[in-house]
Amino acid sequence: MSYNELTRRHFEHPVRPGTLAGPDCYRGAAGSRSAGTWVQFDVRLARNGTCVREVRFLAFGCPHVIAAAELVAAEGEGGAPEPRLPQSIHSLRERLDAPVEKLGRLFVVEDAWVAALRSAAGRSQAPAGLGEPPEGG
Amino acid sequence: MRVPQGQQPPPNASVVYLDYAATTPVAPEVAARMAECLTREGTFGNPGSAGHVYGEAASASVEAARAQVAAAAGAHAADVVFTSGATEANNLAIFGTAQYHRDSGRHIVTARTEHKSVLDPCRELERRGWSVTYLKPDADGVLDPARVAGAVRPETVLVSVMHVNNETGVIQDVGAIAQLCARSGHARMHVDAAQSVGKCRVDFAEFGIDLMSVSAHKVYGPKGAGALLVSRRRGAHLTPILYGGGQEGSLRSGTVATHQAVGMGAAFELASAMFGTERERVAALAERLWRRLREIGGVMLNGAGAARVPHVLNVSFEGVEGESLLAAVQPQLAVSTGSACMSATQEPSYVLRALGRDDRLAESSLRFSLGRFTSEADIDTAATVVTRAVERLRRIAGT
Repeated sequence: MSYNELTRRHFEHPVRPGTLAGPDCYRGAAGSRSAGTWVQFDVRLARNGTCVREVRFLAFGCPHVIAAAELVAAEGEGGAPEPRLPQSIHSLRERLDAPVEKLGRLFVVEDAWVAALRSAAGRSQAPAGLGEPPEGG
Repeated sequence: MRVPQGQQPPPNASVVYLDYAATTPVAPEVAARMAECLTREGTFGNPGSAGHVYGEAASASVEAARAQVAAAAGAHAADVVFTSGATEANNLAIFGTAQYHRDSGRHIVTARTEHKSVLDPCRELERRGWSVTYLKPDADGVLDPARVAGAVRPETVLVSVMHVNNETGVIQDVGAIAQLCARSGHARMHVDAAQSVGKCRVDFAEFGIDLMSVSAHKVYGPKGAGALLVSRRRGAHLTPILYGGGQEGSLRSGTVATHQAVGMGAAFELASAMFGTERERVAALAERLWRRLREIGGVMLNGAGAARVPHVLNVSFEGVEGESLLAAVQPQLAVSTGSACMSATQEPSYVLRALGRDDRLAESSLRFSLGRFTSEADIDTAATVVTRAVERLRRIAGT
């Protein structure tokens, strides 16, 4: 399979893999490794809660999934902490030139992002690094 | 150099080629022999044109090649039926046997780990009302000959088992299976030996095999050339699947491609001559590679407990996704995934699944196949590239 330049760059040189911990950090995950795609986002909110200050992710998946997670993490930083992608899933697929059969995998990225931001919005769930299971599904 | 529209440029020579089980480059001496058969100055005649010197020269070249192929495989020259490759040979063996013996029984025994060119004809026969038993090998990919014999029924006409598995390199004891088949008195033995010649000992006559498929392009010969060995001594009978001309003892009609046959003969002769030294050299390189890969941790050599050809290493890597692993190494390495799980719609390797690997592990497997032009430097590059890729992907996956 061939990958476009954007996919290859973010797949080969992602800068945001990892996890965050602390009182302002929230975690969301989706998918499962046993099913082939699993993504987890950790977000750190600004003190006043008005924007996402920092994002880290872990991803088990194909190059499009890793690139999408990196792209969402990069574009999510500085944005409003709302439980939706910085761009539509279809726009993300087009930018990465992912085949349509991979849409389901990209939805896992979206679900993980939304779960992290919902966790932040609710603020009632356990913050990142406080014993959440490492893998959903 | 301008590349004509629609053609790919030649691959970057800096990419290490470790996919010799998929195909091999034609050896320069083989290419030279083939070229002699193509032009006006060479043996370009139709080998079937017995009435003039051009035809006779071509025929002599084909017969010399037939003898070379036979010698490399432990067969008699009269056993060799040239085909377009091992796929056609497998089709001829299965459909030809089925058609010839259809009135004495309609059952075939084979294994789940066979090549598609055996499995697909078997499935087609099932659609035509035949019964096929697909045996599951053990966790190392080995078929117990006694289990094969136990699957033979009174109506079994053919047992088809490959000699060397193309994905794992595991060697089946086809000699023992052939002996047990012979005892049945009615089940003929077919062996797909496309990966065997030049890689391990092959002796068609001594093994007591009825039919054996061989391929040229796995041993530095041309693509589009192969043969089915049909044991005249054992009285193997087939109905042809191609008609028109009656060449190759009426078993494979069509003008024999002199240059292909000559290339195959030369390649087989060369492979036989180099067998001992090449096998030893490649085994040392494979051991060097496996030593490095093992250091990564969380790796599994598929077929480790079985007899294997030394040039194939099929390794599963825990905690990495298959497509990402392949994408991470392919800029520098030409290897294949046993799984070929290159898109969301493709399945993980049926061979590794038959060995009991789960889908994830089957997907995250790489087949390294070494060959005549593999160097120590290639192995060290491959080990470094794979180690970095696995460690990076595990970091990203948090595994």
